Amino acid sequence: MRLARRYLAVHLPFWAAEHLRQSRPDLAQDQPLALWARQGARRLLVALDHHAAAAGLEPGQALADAEALLPDLQVLPAMPEASAAGLRELAVWAQRFTPISAALPPDGLLLDITGCDHLFGGEAALLAHLTASLAEAGLSAQGAIAGAAASAMALARVRHDGPIIAAGSEEKAVAPLPLGTALRLPGAMLEDLARLGLRSIGDALRQPRAPLARRFGAPLLDALDAAAGHRAPPITPIAAPPDLSVTRALPEPILTAEAIAALLDRLLAALCARLSRAGLGARRLSLTAFRVDGTEQRLMIGTGAPNRDAGHLARLFTEPLASLAPELGFERFTLHALATDPMGAEGQGALPMGAAPRPDGVLAQLLDRLGQRLRLARPAPMPSHWPERQWRAAPPHEAPSPAPPGWGARAAPVLLRRRPEAVQVTAFAEGAPAAMHWRGRVYPLTRAEGPLRLEAEWWHGGALPPARDYHRVQLASGERLWLCHAGGRWVVQGDLP
Amino acid sequence: MTAADPPSARSAALARLRDTLAGLATRAPTGGTGTPIPVFADPSLIGAGLVRGALHEVCAASPGSGVAFAAILLARCGGQVLWISTEQESNLVWPPGLIPFGLAPESLILARAARWPEALWAMEEALRCPALGGAVLMAGAGQGLDLTATRRLHLAAEAGGVFGLLLRPDGAAGASAARTRWHIAPLSSDAALRWRLTLLRQRGGAPAGPWNVSFEAATGSLRLEAGSG
Repeated sequence: MRLARRYLAVHLPFWAAEHLRQSRPDLAQDQPLALWARQGARRLLVALDHHAAAAGLEPGQALADAEALLPDLQVLPAMPEASAAGLRELAVWAQRFTPISAALPPDGLLLDITGCDHLFGGEAALLAHLTASLAEAGLSAQGAIAGAAASAMALARVRHDGPIIAAGSEEKAVAPLPLGTALRLPGAMLEDLARLGLRSIGDALRQPRAPLARRFGAPLLDALDAAAGHRAPPITPIAAPPDLSVTRALPEPILTAEAIAALLDRLLAALCARLSRAGLGARRLSLTAFRVDGTEQRLMIGTGAPNRDAGHLARLFTEPLASLAPELGFERFTLHALATDPMGAEGQGALPMGAAPRPDGVLAQLLDRLGQRLRLARPAPMPSHWPERQWRAAPPHEAPSPAPPGWGARAAPVLLRRRPEAVQVTAFAEGAPAAMHWRGRVYPLTRAEGPLRLEAEWWHGGALPPARDYHRVQLASGERLWLCHAGGRWVVQGDLP
Repeated sequence: MTAADPPSARSAALARLRDTLAGLATRAPTGGTGTPIPVFADPSLIGAGLVRGALHEVCAASPGSGVAFAAILLARCGGQVLWISTEQESNLVWPPGLIPFGLAPESLILARAARWPEALWAMEEALRCPALGGAVLMAGAGQGLDLTATRRLHLAAEAGGVFGLLLRPDGAAGASAARTRWHIAPLSSDAALRWRLTLLRQRGGAPAGPWNVSFEAATGSLRLEAGSG
């Protein structure tokens, strides 16, 4: 016989505000806090803490009104992403009670506690333990346990007493719950239901199904059935992120470069094995070395493409390792993959079959090595006609972007001065420069071509620099230079081929 | 061999050693995988072209002409090109300007080293990497690049099969282990780009040139002007 499932739902009525408060110790604990978001031109409250709720504020209120009502109200902009991420972390934390937990944004947790409650002394004790732990962390929580996930959630949203509903009696338990709070139905639908005299789940469940479905669509019936425990939509359990840090404590402190390198190899091998199991490759690694005197030193490396080849990562660490100052020795090392990317099995460098690594993998490894000591860039086209803004430095590992046709075709220096070099044009012939004073000498110009006028890019706004006139000039030696005349000054800006 | 050996045996052994040494000195280059990189369409001038998997040197009378010649050669080696320079260099390569010479920006990786030894190290690492088509190092006037350093680079290029190019200003080059050394100087011109190109030296061959060449944008190749060379 299948084990009847049991679900524990937690509703965190003030989650967004309380979560934010945890990361902001500067906020006063005993003063009301409200979060706002912009809706069009208006700033509306979107989340409150229990002080603000007790003072009568409501989500949806204008921020200005709320501040007028409660002069000591602390207000902050809402951060929905951070709040959702925090809820996922909380769901991972809840895995201490059961291996299956899920975050139900914006403010709910769902735990499948089937077969777990006896470890905590029964369902009531488990629920009390969970809400007490949350309260200790400064989180208000209401819990409920039922045989269907949606029933437990609906009960948790409404009831403060932590109801525990026996399997099979969910429909009876949810019947008195108000539709709005328990099921989170859209406001327009609620109004229509209220006009028909339907305010609680029980009211709606008693109606004939077909007219209800025709009038409000299938989602309402689905929500009602789920809350009554007649159908069980799947829940999406959260997976704890893999632990990508390895630590080795040493019985004796180590000092020598060889010993540290050997230890790093062992750490890297262990970490790469974990990365491989998780299907990940490291992008950024930190090695923290704890010295016997209680201080710590940290080294960081980065890779351009996800990598879990221990040998390659060890080579990247070779140079930073030399900067460690062991003094009396290190007693503990922690290697941590700070950033990872998904990486399939094909990305592994050393295949047991002895197949040659792919050439682009070899290039990526070369760029990783060079990138530890040099600045690497690929030229990426930019929509500008001013030469110094015509390309930007893109990361070297990025797939190269093809240049648009005609890019840079109008002016063709091959080298551009990092700092334009001032010159004086000393003679003109028919409006074109004929001689110039450059590097302490006067050079006659045998040929001058131009001007090519480039206007300032007015669409960037701000104060406009003067327009530039470019001249291609040739010295008697044949050397060709690219002169720029702007705002009354002449400069050499580049070399022509 | 002991002192008791007859003189004839000793001289025979010496002759064998000399043969071995001569063989070592003139052995065929181990690198040079793939087809050589042509400089001119006409193979009678310098043969099929510049060997890959070797180090070559370009001394330029003007910075622009050297970069253009390097771009023409690197465009022909195919694959990705690493262009290394140091922060001390007052000029930056302008990638769009290399397109007319056939070197597309998508095959270009620019590397800037804070100091010269790092640039040298990067060049050696790059030349050992078979995934690259070519690598060029822009060396300033006062930068230490002696016989030992160039020999290291050449051996690295042989190992990796990468086309290596040293770009140096005029008059800076001393002894070097590069396989060829070129000199390029701009020539006055009205329309087409014109240069005077000289093969100053090549290992296992005679110097050649100078040639007056012009760049044909349509074909992307160097054309020998009538009456020169």
